[in-house]
Amino acid sequence: MTSKTTRPDDRKYFESHEWAKQDGENVIIGITDFAVTALSNGNDSDLVYCDLPEPGRELAQGETFGEIESVKAVSDLNSPVAGEVIAINQKIEEHLEILSRDPWNEGWMIRIRPTSKNWAGEKLMSAAEYEKYLEAQKH
Amino acid sequence: MELWRLITTFEASPEFNMGLDQALLETPESPPTLRFYTWSPDTLSLGYFQRFADVPRAAEAGAQVRRITGGGAIHHVDELTFSLACPVDHPLYQGPIGASYERVHRTIAVALARFGVKADLRGERALVSDRADTGMCFHHSTPLDLAWDERKGVGSAQRRKDGRVLHHGSIKLRNSPLEGDIATLERYGAPAPEEFAPVLLEAFKSELAIRTRPAAPEIDEREIATVVGAGYRAEKFLRRR
Repeated sequence: MTSKTTRPDDRKYFESHEWAKQDGENVIIGITDFAVTALSNGNDSDLVYCDLPEPGRELAQGETFGEIESVKAVSDLNSPVAGEVIAINQKIEEHLEILSRDPWNEGWMIRIRPTSKNWAGEKLMSAAEYEKYLEAQKH
Repeated sequence: MELWRLITTFEASPEFNMGLDQALLETPESPPTLRFYTWSPDTLSLGYFQRFADVPRAAEAGAQVRRITGGGAIHHVDELTFSLACPVDHPLYQGPIGASYERVHRTIAVALARFGVKADLRGERALVSDRADTGMCFHHSTPLDLAWDERKGVGSAQRRKDGRVLHHGSIKLRNSPLEGDIATLERYGAPAPEEFAPVLLEAFKSELAIRTRPAAPEIDEREIATVVGAGYRAEKFLRRR
C-alpha cells in the first residue's frame, strides 16, 4: 500500500530538494515547491537571479549545476542524476516567477542525457519518501 | 548552552576576509562559528550576481571584491562586519530563510539598544535611504532589514551550500561617502569596531543562549582562505557580470 502524497509521484526527489523526471530517453530536472517556498518566503518577487549551465556540461550525481538567488540567500542547485546537460529552460533565467507558479512542469530547469538508464534507483526518493524526509527535517 | 567558536580578525585584507568566510562555509567539520572582522584597505564588495556596471562608484573604494553572498554592494569602512557559519539544520537557521534573518537581526537590535538606538525590522514602510541606480545594499531595503532613524543600518546576506550556511553582514558605525545618508551609530557615540564587537557578542550570547570561546582559524581553514582568497579580487571573477 502506498501513502497518499501531495507531490507528483511521476518523478524522483533528491535530498537537496531537486526533482528528476524521465522525459523520453532523457531526464528533466527542477526544484520542488518546498525549495521555492523556502527561498522566496512565499513571495515570488523575492527570487531574483538564476544561473543555469551551458549545454554539453557533464554532471555527477549531487554536483552543482547552477545557482539561484532570492532576496536573502544564494543557494546551489544540485543534479539528482549523473549525465550530460543537453538543454536548459532559458525562460527561467528571465522569469523566475514561473518557479512559484509551476515548479513541476513549466519550471523545469535542465534536461540531461543520463549516464545510466537505471538512474532512478540511486539515492533518490519517491514522493512519499520525500514527504517523510521533509517531515523529519522539522524535528 | 552550546559552545560557539569566536574568531576576531580586525584590519585584515579583502582576500583573507572573503577566503576565510568561504573556508568557514565549506569546511564541514568547522564548529558553529561567529566571526567579527574589519577591512584594510577599505573595500567595496559586490553581490554575487551583481553587474559591475550597476555600481557606478565601485572604483572609488580602496579595493573591490565580489562576495559569494547575494544582494547589493557594500563599502566596508567604519563598520563592524560579522559572519556566522554553521550547519543549515542548526536551530538558528531552521525553517524559512526569512525567519533566520529575523532571529539574527533582532539579536543585533539588542546590541544597538545598548547605544540608545531604537532599531526594528523595516516591515512594509519605505525608508529615506532607499535610492535607485547606486547598486548599494544600503540603498535597497526589504521588510526584514534592520532600520533606525528611517534608514537602513544593517546589510546582511546568506550563502547556503552543501548543508551549511554562511551569513554575513555589516553594521555601519559611521557614514561612508559611497553610501551617504544611511543609518549609522555616528549620532550614538560612534563606537569603534573594537567597542561595538563585545556588545554584539554579549547580545549573541544572551539572545541565542550560547557560550563562545575565542579562537584562531584552524590551519586547514587558513590554507583554504589563502588558496581561494586571491580569486575574490581577480578581474575575471570581479567582472563576471
